[in-house]
Amino acid sequence: MAGNNYLTYSASQLAMDESFQQWVLHPDLKNVFWENWVAQYPEKTELVDQARSLVLGIRFRNYALAADEKEELWERIWSGMADEPTQEQQTATPTRKWMPLARYAAAVLAGIILMAGWHYYNTGKQRPVVVSAHTRPGETKQLQLPDSSVVILNANSKLLYTVNNKAEREVWLDGEAFFNVKHTSANQPFTVHTYDNLDVKVLGTRFNVNSLGKEIVVVLETGRIMLNIDNKAAALYLKPGEMIRYNKGDGSFAKTNVDPSQYTAWKSGKLVMEDFSLTDAAVFMKQVFGKTLIISDSQLLNYKVSGSMPIIYDPDTMMTQLSKVFRTRFNQRGDEIWIHKK
Amino acid sequence: MNTGKAARTGLHVVAAHSSLWGLFRQGDRNAFEAIYEKYIDDLYHYGMHCCADHNRVKDCLQDLFQDLWVTREHLTEEIRNIRYYLISCLRRRLLKNSRIDQRYQHPESWDAFEFDFSLPQEHLLIQNETKAEQQRLLQQALNQLTRRQREAIYLRFYQNLSYQEVANIMAMQVDSVYNTISKAISILKKNLPLPLLLILLKS
Repeated sequence: MAGNNYLTYSASQLAMDESFQQWVLHPDLKNVFWENWVAQYPEKTELVDQARSLVLGIRFRNYALAADEKEELWERIWSGMADEPTQEQQTATPTRKWMPLARYAAAVLAGIILMAGWHYYNTGKQRPVVVSAHTRPGETKQLQLPDSSVVILNANSKLLYTVNNKAEREVWLDGEAFFNVKHTSANQPFTVHTYDNLDVKVLGTRFNVNSLGKEIVVVLETGRIMLNIDNKAAALYLKPGEMIRYNKGDGSFAKTNVDPSQYTAWKSGKLVMEDFSLTDAAVFMKQVFGKTLIISDSQLLNYKVSGSMPIIYDPDTMMTQLSKVFRTRFNQRGDEIWIHKK
Repeated sequence: MNTGKAARTGLHVVAAHSSLWGLFRQGDRNAFEAIYEKYIDDLYHYGMHCCADHNRVKDCLQDLFQDLWVTREHLTEEIRNIRYYLISCLRRRLLKNSRIDQRYQHPESWDAFEFDFSLPQEHLLIQNETKAEQQRLLQQALNQLTRRQREAIYLRFYQNLSYQEVANIMAMQVDSVYNTISKAISILKKNLPLPLLLILLKS
């Protein structure tokens, strides 16, 4: 359904489209895409009406449960369950007979497992992963880590969290995340490892790390962070409002002053665009929805915009908005979106 | 792309549905009751279309909700669509139940997943005679669909399950769900003359 070229659709085809059906059958849920579409193509009104009546033409005989029956059924559900504990007690008595033996066995077994585990823990370098999380395209997640630091994971990203034997906090990030790290009373460091030669070491701060593209971009909002690049002892420090771009290819990096809110706005559902080109839009669509933008005319790349728009976690709607901003047309084949001049 | 409305309500993926489910799994009775209140009407509606036996549907629903509560801790943590989950549970129960009692499999007096063509009151006066004839033709045409086809159409249009979910529940390919619904639409298109289309539209 996504980005299909609805302009070529017949009434029956429209009536078959899942998102169109959704719009017609559930008028209570706002559907920006179809409302815009209808407004944009007034010549399609008759066709849309026809398709709508086909969808609404499918109706089923009604059966309703009376209010008192509903209540009575709920009573029956609860009263049926009131017997449940007594049944459990009855079945529990006979099992008691072999319980002491079973307990013995369980205790011995637990001991063996514990010792084996301790042995494994000490010999193997493997550390237990405490938390792991990932996001799908078009999805973000807020996580609270066991040390009560908060991480907001952007779309298409993965995060592993563990505590090493020196009680230091460590995470591995693939993708983009905003960190609000809690300063512990024991001053335990918190390290963000990327799957490249760049680590971010902090005590308690707010910062954003994006390792999705060809560069790793770290932006600091508050506090102070230390960067370890290429495992060199010479560490680099960032002050609030500073950003570092690290090139994964040649290992070069540059520090600049930026407005951090521009880089962390995604976590509040806003896309902040400053000198934003179609290339930036392509990076966004790839990261958030896994869609590849193919731009047919290189002239389109020169056009830049500034402003902000809400991020809608639906690729069709987002694409419609973006193409309005850039005054382009688009059509979609699978995960590829082709951009043309209007 | 129908990952459920929940995923798009905002930045956080923890939607009202899943947290309701989470609370229920932790043993929150209010959450359990909220789930009952929210889905009981549609579940009953589905059950009646399935077997048209009021008492049997109520018995199955009672068992379904009791088992749901008893096994809550063992149920999956991540649930995309509670409605989908409950309907598939109810469907299995009703099928199992009707195998025990064969009498209900082919009742002559009743048609499973019967379509409805009643128009709202205010339109009844308009072209009453032609309308009756049109409805008879349409009914005839749609009754050529099999019970399974009607059920698939019902699950998509009445219960708002996605094509994929309908396919899963009925162990069909998504393509065949699509074809089935396409068949229904083309029957409607052939048999609904324009005036009736407009009446439906304005109602």
